[in-house]
Amino acid sequence: MLVSEKEPLLPQLERAGVLVDYQCREGYCSSCILKLLRGHVIYPTEPLAWVQSGYMLACCAIVKSDIEISFL
Amino acid sequence: MSYSTFNRKHFDSMKEPMFFGENVNVARYDQQKHPIFEKLIEKQLSFFWRPEEVDLSSDRKDFQNLEPHEQHIFLSNLKYQTLLDSVQGRSPNVALLPIVSLPELETWIETWAFSETIHSRSYTHIIRNIVNDPTAIFDDITVNEEITRRADSVSKYYDQLIEMVNLYNTLGVGTHTISTRGEVVINLRELKKALYLTIASVNVLEAIRFYVSFACSFAFAERTLMEGNAKIIKLIARDEALHLTGTQHMLNIMASGRDDPEMALIAEECKSEVAEIFIDAAQQEKEWSRYLFKDGSMIGLNAEILSQYVEYITNMRMQAIGLEAHFDTKSNPIPWINAWLVSDNVQVAPQEAEISSYLVGQIDNDLGDSDFDDFDL
Ligand code: FES
Ligand SMILES: [Fe+2]
Ligand SMILES: [Fe+2]
Repeated sequence: MLVSEKEPLLPQLERAGVLVDYQCREGYCSSCILKLLRGHVIYPTEPLAWVQSGYMLACCAIVKSDIEISFL
Repeated sequence: MSYSTFNRKHFDSMKEPMFFGENVNVARYDQQKHPIFEKLIEKQLSFFWRPEEVDLSSDRKDFQNLEPHEQHIFLSNLKYQTLLDSVQGRSPNVALLPIVSLPELETWIETWAFSETIHSRSYTHIIRNIVNDPTAIFDDITVNEEITRRADSVSKYYDQLIEMVNLYNTLGVGTHTISTRGEVVINLRELKKALYLTIASVNVLEAIRFYVSFACSFAFAERTLMEGNAKIIKLIARDEALHLTGTQHMLNIMASGRDDPEMALIAEECKSEVAEIFIDAAQQEKEWSRYLFKDGSMIGLNAEILSQYVEYITNMRMQAIGLEAHFDTKSNPIPWINAWLVSDNVQVAPQEAEISSYLVGQIDNDLGDSDFDDFDL
């Protein structure tokens, strides 16, 4: 799937028909957490939710390279 | 040892641990050891809302038209939510304020607990709008066995910690003989362990138990019933999302050892005990869902589906604090809940600020409930 850097990953996944859980859609609830198996994402503002390494928050992460993700 | 409301010692509060260091003296927020708690405070303040701003006039009619088994589901769920927020409105303060050592964390705890009191007030707003006799509902919370069993499991860890901290603050560390309890050993490591387990059980309360109750509230709204209630629950859910992030941070900071190295050892040592707390709670929530649906299920939700959601959400929350998922359930059995949980469009219409249901509630208080028996909203 081809994604853009112009917006976070979550709405792009949704448009592609991939359903990810969400609640706040702004980085404080961690509902949208995904495993980041490979690649690089950034957060324009640091999310309030705890993000362990190897995970990402789909609602606020901007994809910066080819990535491989999976559900928890 | 004994708690001081304004500690006279000179110390660098940036070097204190989150808990069991010095009592906080100056409430200053220009510097923070853990800036996350300052951010949580700001976010929580930006969420401020008042239950009376939500119009519940159509909920009363909806409620009266529910089937008896649906009324049982709705009221039992509401009683459970009332219980949980009764606990949460006081316990973070009572249990954690005497032992907290950072000003930003102290204020986060107070801000957090304050928002829980809004939740409690909203249940009163809901209950007095849908039934004539709120007392019957409130009283049942302390006598209904299904509910009191829940109360035991949500307050157990808090109560243990509070008791230990009381002894620590009055008698200090050591072995003490107490008339009612015999010999009691108080040491800092056991206190820290009790604290860690308490925070884990609070995370379970807010991140699992509450979400199970949200599912029930929103299942009514999915059928366009009890929509005022759903609007309130949506506001509560927005707060709870922040609270659960707060306890996840506390647990993860503790486990990382960068706050208090001994806490990292305790976190490691307690891993299976914490996992047990999550798994036991999931079990209790499944039993609860059988009680909710004992006389029949409702469109979109039954004991089976709700139990799957319990498993799903428990897995998610366990993984968020570095535990292995315990259940096989891999996907959310009620994906429609997201659209209800979403907080981006939570807005309270200003014109609803003085709606009649609020005024009726006020009048009820003065006149007694029977006066409005025939009053239809
Ligand atoms: S939806 Fe809340 S953190 Fe992404
Ligand atoms: Fe609450
Ligand atoms: Fe809460």
